[in-house]
Amino acid sequence: MSQIAAVAVMNIRSLPRRLWMSLAMVLASAVVVAILLAFLAMARGFEATMSGAGSDAVALMMREGSQAELNSVIGRDQVNLIEEAPGIARDADGPLVSPELYVIVDGIKKGTGGKANIPLRGLDARGMAMRGNMQLLEGRMFTPGTNEMIVGAGILREFDGFQLGNEIRFGKNVWTVVGVFSTGGNVFESELWADAKMIQSHYNRGSSYQTIRAQLENPGNLEPLKAYIDAEPQLNLELKTESAYFAEQGKQLQYMAIFGRVISFIMALGALAGALNTMYTSVADRAKEIATLRALGFGNFSAFCGTIAEALVLAAAGGLLGSLAAFVFFDGLNASTLGGSFTQVVFSFDMSPDLFVQGAVLALLIGFLSGFFPAWRAARMPVIVAFRNGA
Amino acid sequence: MSQDLLFQLNGVSKSFVKGKEEISIFSDLNLTIERGDFVAIMGPSGSGKTTLLNMLGGVDQPSGGEVSFDGARVDNLSESALTRWRAHNIGFIFQFYNLMPMLNAARNVELPLLLTKLSKAQRRKNVETALALVGLSDRAKHMPSEMSGGQQQRVAIARAIVSDPKLLLCDEPTGDLDRTTADEILEMLQLLNRDHGKTIVMVTHDPAAAKYANRTLHLDKGKFVQRELVA
Amino acid sequence: MSDLYLIYKNMTRKPLRLFLTCFAIFIAFLIYGAVTTLKSALDAGIDLAADNRLVVVNKINFTQPLPIAYAQKVAAVEGVEHVTYANWFGGYYQEARNQIVAMAVEPESLLQVYEREIVLPLEQRAAWLGNRQGLIAGKNLAQRLGWKVGDRVPVSSNIFSHKEGGHTWDFVVEGIFTGSDPQHDTNSMYFHYKYFMETQSFGGDWIGWITLTTVDPAQNQRIADEIDNGFANSQAETDTSTEAAFSKAFIEQIGNIGLIIFGVVFMAFFTILILVGNTMALAVRERTGEIAVLKTLGFAAPRIFKMVLTESLLIALIGGLAGLGAAWLIVEGAKATMAQFLPNLVLDSGIALQALAFMLLLGLVTGLLPALNALRLNIVTAFNRG
Repeated sequence: MSQIAAVAVMNIRSLPRRLWMSLAMVLASAVVVAILLAFLAMARGFEATMSGAGSDAVALMMREGSQAELNSVIGRDQVNLIEEAPGIARDADGPLVSPELYVIVDGIKKGTGGKANIPLRGLDARGMAMRGNMQLLEGRMFTPGTNEMIVGAGILREFDGFQLGNEIRFGKNVWTVVGVFSTGGNVFESELWADAKMIQSHYNRGSSYQTIRAQLENPGNLEPLKAYIDAEPQLNLELKTESAYFAEQGKQLQYMAIFGRVISFIMALGALAGALNTMYTSVADRAKEIATLRALGFGNFSAFCGTIAEALVLAAAGGLLGSLAAFVFFDGLNASTLGGSFTQVVFSFDMSPDLFVQGAVLALLIGFLSGFFPAWRAARMPVIVAFRNGA
Repeated sequence: MSQDLLFQLNGVSKSFVKGKEEISIFSDLNLTIERGDFVAIMGPSGSGKTTLLNMLGGVDQPSGGEVSFDGARVDNLSESALTRWRAHNIGFIFQFYNLMPMLNAARNVELPLLLTKLSKAQRRKNVETALALVGLSDRAKHMPSEMSGGQQQRVAIARAIVSDPKLLLCDEPTGDLDRTTADEILEMLQLLNRDHGKTIVMVTHDPAAAKYANRTLHLDKGKFVQRELVA
Repeated sequence: MSDLYLIYKNMTRKPLRLFLTCFAIFIAFLIYGAVTTLKSALDAGIDLAADNRLVVVNKINFTQPLPIAYAQKVAAVEGVEHVTYANWFGGYYQEARNQIVAMAVEPESLLQVYEREIVLPLEQRAAWLGNRQGLIAGKNLAQRLGWKVGDRVPVSSNIFSHKEGGHTWDFVVEGIFTGSDPQHDTNSMYFHYKYFMETQSFGGDWIGWITLTTVDPAQNQRIADEIDNGFANSQAETDTSTEAAFSKAFIEQIGNIGLIIFGVVFMAFFTILILVGNTMALAVRERTGEIAVLKTLGFAAPRIFKMVLTESLLIALIGGLAGLGAAWLIVEGAKATMAQFLPNLVLDSGIALQALAFMLLLGLVTGLLPALNALRLNIVTAFNRG
């Protein structure tokens, strides 16, 4: 054991001498780890934003085949029928049903200054109550029947001109921002909220809506509502829990995570090739040292472990560097992209601790693989040959 | 100038600048080498014998004085002219053979012929002749790593003579070999000198090697010193 | 034996190292080729945009409708050549997952405005113009869905409802069009706006957007301003921009995510190149002694310079071209499955040339320094070192 330690220490001490090759190995490992973590942090952040939005206790109804809130149309008569439906929670004012509108408007993005789609949602106090974690950060609620709106915190972060008190023109209509709200970081924060009735009149929607949300009597239990809708020919509605809907929408960025893993895997192969080159060169460089040790009576195994230890130390250093770089550059990075409803979803890269573990595992894997074969060669090199080549 | 004169050094000096100091290797050195000569140059380490050899080979240039080869000045040639001159006139044999490790024996011997305009067939013939001369016809396809030191040095000799240069320069050609092998190599050089008329200049610190030469010059602190050969 | 043989022998003296180096370059250019193709596919709308085409959309957002009457008013603006309009149908075939880019259009003007993008055999063109229930489908779309001219096909909408109930319309495939450029999108279908208007249950006289061509790109700005000013303070204000600007804005919606991904990937690409370059330069440095021998034998410095440079260029090209080739294979393989989302997935000569330039750069940069060192190498000091 002390043999192995002695060889390992000797190898690692001589690293600075082979500075460039050592640095190359560190860099290779750092880049692969940083890329993997960047993609994972992005996917993690998007997923959290989408899945955090859905509640099991809320049923979401859209016109069948419409797939996203944007495409759906629901008449007032249908809303009336749903308000009579079983399985929906009620309070003193009646059933907890929220018919909503979903209109897309242009916002000016900070940074690029380009136009991007943001959703303007029309709803009422009941609808807001269904977003359990909704809270006003600044200002006050909009007054029904006026051109007032409240804006999500995500919109404020990524778009220009939505500060409290600002007047905003969408076409002919002017709206006033009277409040800023948070829903705990989920996708609703990427929205503007205003009175549904005002939106109906400004956007020629008559008395129609686009979606209906309903608080379920028993969370997750859609059965009574589903039976009711199936039995009523006027209700050509698709029914799912809100959490199921957003889970589907969140899947859209799963391709990012897959893409990221594929790219980092391929990159890792390339970097592994570079790292292997480094280690082979390093072993060739030290052929004479290794042979000397072997001649002095050090075993094959200690030569083997010494080389592996060197590779692991370099790769781990790279992994640490890559993780740090990823953390500094990506953690909390605000990003936005086109979500399922054709509108911008604002989210943050989320570099959670378990990602660091994945990065470390990858770095050590690179270190082990790039050390193993050269170490094997170092251990098996006949002493005489090593001396001759070293001369 | 005599027909038999191959190399002439007249008042040649050589010095290096190391840091702020100027180190003189030799000053006012005179040497005449005749066609067909086999000269051994001996001397302790640092006496300047390798520098002298490099200068004869046109690898290094003197700081002052005149060097003439075959009646023409070479000390004032440009780098590229010197390179061409070297390719035509000089064959080198090194202490550590300096074969290309990735080429087999025949290819190593063929290397200097890339600098000539010989046809492929002509080149192959020359290579065969040179290898036959050093007794390695049967090793033509072997790689340097598959040959002993003596065999490698014989390949190096074949490489040195393949383009039929006028002068062979040997830098400690037996320095890395055991006695028996060294004698074989030296006999081969002697043969080349005697039967094939090659002029040879050999730097060595081995008196036994020097005995194969026609005459021996002793270099010490940058000067030739007269010393009787110990028989 | 020739110089090329020497170069070859130098390259292959450590086959493992050669393989690893080429492999790393292979990976770098595989990723470069694939990702650049992806990026170019995303940007294709901008690159392919005709410079004399303008798009008129609702100022609130392009998903908001415009009154159909606007088309005639736009046509009256001086300098406007052809005007066509379209409505997004939100189409899908049989299953909701099976989405189709489908638009209700005014056929004759569509074919005028998009004469380069929609190329149709004459008899199919006449047939489509003559059949109100007819549709034309792009070649890729028709291939994907197995449609042939003459087929009767049902296409559903996730937005509109048929006035006879349901969301499905029946069409006859009257033509299959191609583009005049391989990057032109042929994953869409078009059908008569009139048929759509007569059969849908709501939203009759509204259209999604207007596309027009101008007589001269230099007049684009004036025409755009004139259109927007004409509709100012009306029930639907407009926003007119060039097709390129419209496509760009649309692409930017994907957001800084795209920017971040491409940034990360290109950083990685260059890092791999640096790593490989380091190894390649070291490999030459190891041979200092041999280069000194060659010089001593009488090989001229420029000749050795060329040999060293050729070697590193060869390595860069072998790895790089193989990687680019693999990227091409992947792109060709993915084309069919990705066509729905990214119709313009083509690894074209522009990308290939760019990659080739990077390969040459890699070969030159990694080879130049060692080659220069070899050129200047002093034989005497080289031997003393060795």
